[in-house]
Amino acid sequence: MLKNIFNSSKNKPPLLAKKMEEMPHVKLGMDYKTWCDSQPAGDKWRKIRWSVLIFMNLLFFLSFALDLSLLEGSLSGSRLFGFYLMDPFSSLQLLAISSKTGYIVHLTTNFIIGTVTILLFYFFLGGRTFCSWLCPYHFLAELAERLHDYLVKKKKIKEHKFHLGLRYVFWIGFLALAFFTTNLVFEDMNPVGIISRAIIYGPGMILLWVFALLIFEIVYSKRFWCRYVCPIGTTYTMIGKPSPLTIRFELDKCGYCADCQTVCLVPHELWFVKRGKATQEVHHTGSDCTNCGLCIDTCAGNALKYTIKGFDKIL
Amino acid sequence: MKKNNSDISRRQFIVSGAVAFGSLAAVGVGVKYLQKSNDNEDLLLRPPGAVAESDFIYGCIKCGLCVQICPVQAIKLAGINETLSYGTPYVDARNQACDFSCDSLQCAETCPTAVLNFKQFKVVGEKAIEKYYNEHDTKEEGFNPFKTQIIAMKEAVKMGVAKLKSESCLAVKSEGFKGISRGEGFKGVNRTPGGGTPSAVPLNTKEYDREICDLCVTECPIGESAIVLELIENNGSKSYKPKVLDGCTGCGVCVMVCPTEPTSIFIDPKKS
Repeated sequence: MLKNIFNSSKNKPPLLAKKMEEMPHVKLGMDYKTWCDSQPAGDKWRKIRWSVLIFMNLLFFLSFALDLSLLEGSLSGSRLFGFYLMDPFSSLQLLAISSKTGYIVHLTTNFIIGTVTILLFYFFLGGRTFCSWLCPYHFLAELAERLHDYLVKKKKIKEHKFHLGLRYVFWIGFLALAFFTTNLVFEDMNPVGIISRAIIYGPGMILLWVFALLIFEIVYSKRFWCRYVCPIGTTYTMIGKPSPLTIRFELDKCGYCADCQTVCLVPHELWFVKRGKATQEVHHTGSDCTNCGLCIDTCAGNALKYTIKGFDKIL
Repeated sequence: MKKNNSDISRRQFIVSGAVAFGSLAAVGVGVKYLQKSNDNEDLLLRPPGAVAESDFIYGCIKCGLCVQICPVQAIKLAGINETLSYGTPYVDARNQACDFSCDSLQCAETCPTAVLNFKQFKVVGEKAIEKYYNEHDTKEEGFNPFKTQIIAMKEAVKMGVAKLKSESCLAVKSEGFKGISRGEGFKGVNRTPGGGTPSAVPLNTKEYDREICDLCVTECPIGESAIVLELIENNGSKSYKPKVLDGCTGCGVCVMVCPTEPTSIFIDPKKS
């Protein structure tokens, strides 16, 4: 069981690429082009997702502006109908510092409830689901990513990629920084909290930092903060490792077009869609997947869909 | 074949990792430097129940729940000009003081990390109720232990201490005050102590007429254990001076109502 969760199926020998008569368009008696166009790329999930993201952030704003008491606080820490929710990385930093200073004994039950609730919630919903469904920085960065892709396509700029392990350096680094300086250093530069507070309590000069990050992502490296730095996302990646909610890929419906990988926000999670790469008939995305649903919208063969692991057969 | 992310070499990881480590270390040095230079700076006036600044600075996760729950919106979040205190709550008493009109110190109660520590107020309040039960009969007319609880809780607050600048104080100059204390355009609200107004009302709706200005004394939500107008007799000549006592909670209502510009009374935030 554990082996299934943590061992990537990537290390297995790949299956042979499908033969022509096994391809979905041949089975339906179409030529490849017609098959690809037979299912026009929709944006159902993107619409739902952006609506949820905007609605939740608006709910934060309206709760304060109109004194609704529905969702108080900000994304650093909040109260949903009086029920506390805590940002996991800010909780981790606080636990690290307060165990050093001894303040840990003063932390409230609400703090513990809030942290555990968030951990459980994102354990079931797939860690990085937070990113694409709630994070206001993600929303801006997703738009910035489109602009970046456009500029790369026009050959105005060059793409710079880094090693994905970099985020673990930052994750440990930010925790160590908090511990050694006795200060929530990351919270001073966390675009998630900064934007969330700006939406709710009004903007400040610190938004220039967020602006600088976006510019860097547009002109230098795609999704730099989200992919290589953000320790909140990394925390969610860790929580999401054993998560049951993922995207399910079925090889026999796949036409090897790799459109899904083109639109994917974390393309390395869809490594198995390319011709001759899949090692199993069915693959599930890993915990970097933000469950954004862009791949589901674009897939001509309906080879990708949301699933809850263990309930595959029932669904 | 196109390279994918995971194929990027180990060497690049070591290089970028070292750059990341270096920049984090630089941030750490910067934070340490700011901490040193902030030591001599004026403290912000924290909301009721705040723990020592050294704990507050990391214990506050900048969620803003206290800001949202305050009925008079006395609490604001610090901007980036406060460097390391960015995003932490403070009370700008001159513009809107904490007038205790919530009667429950809910900013402290809502704080998830207890840097606004509600426990101390809870204990004090429970003791007051217990004392009331011992001294009063439940069948008594007007039996209500909660009034004493509310009073005991707000008297336990120690945000800071009011200090007088005598050179500009109207009372010290034996001057009176007539009119609206901070002008028509002032947005702050407060609740007149002693049941004058049941909840907080805008300060610009209150007109005063005093022979000797004593607004800081009469508007104080704590009363005569916190501030009194002291009569000084000197060779037959009389003069007055507001005198701050031990009961002062540092809520800042006196600062907000003070009609002189700039204010003749200010709050010295608690240092501990």
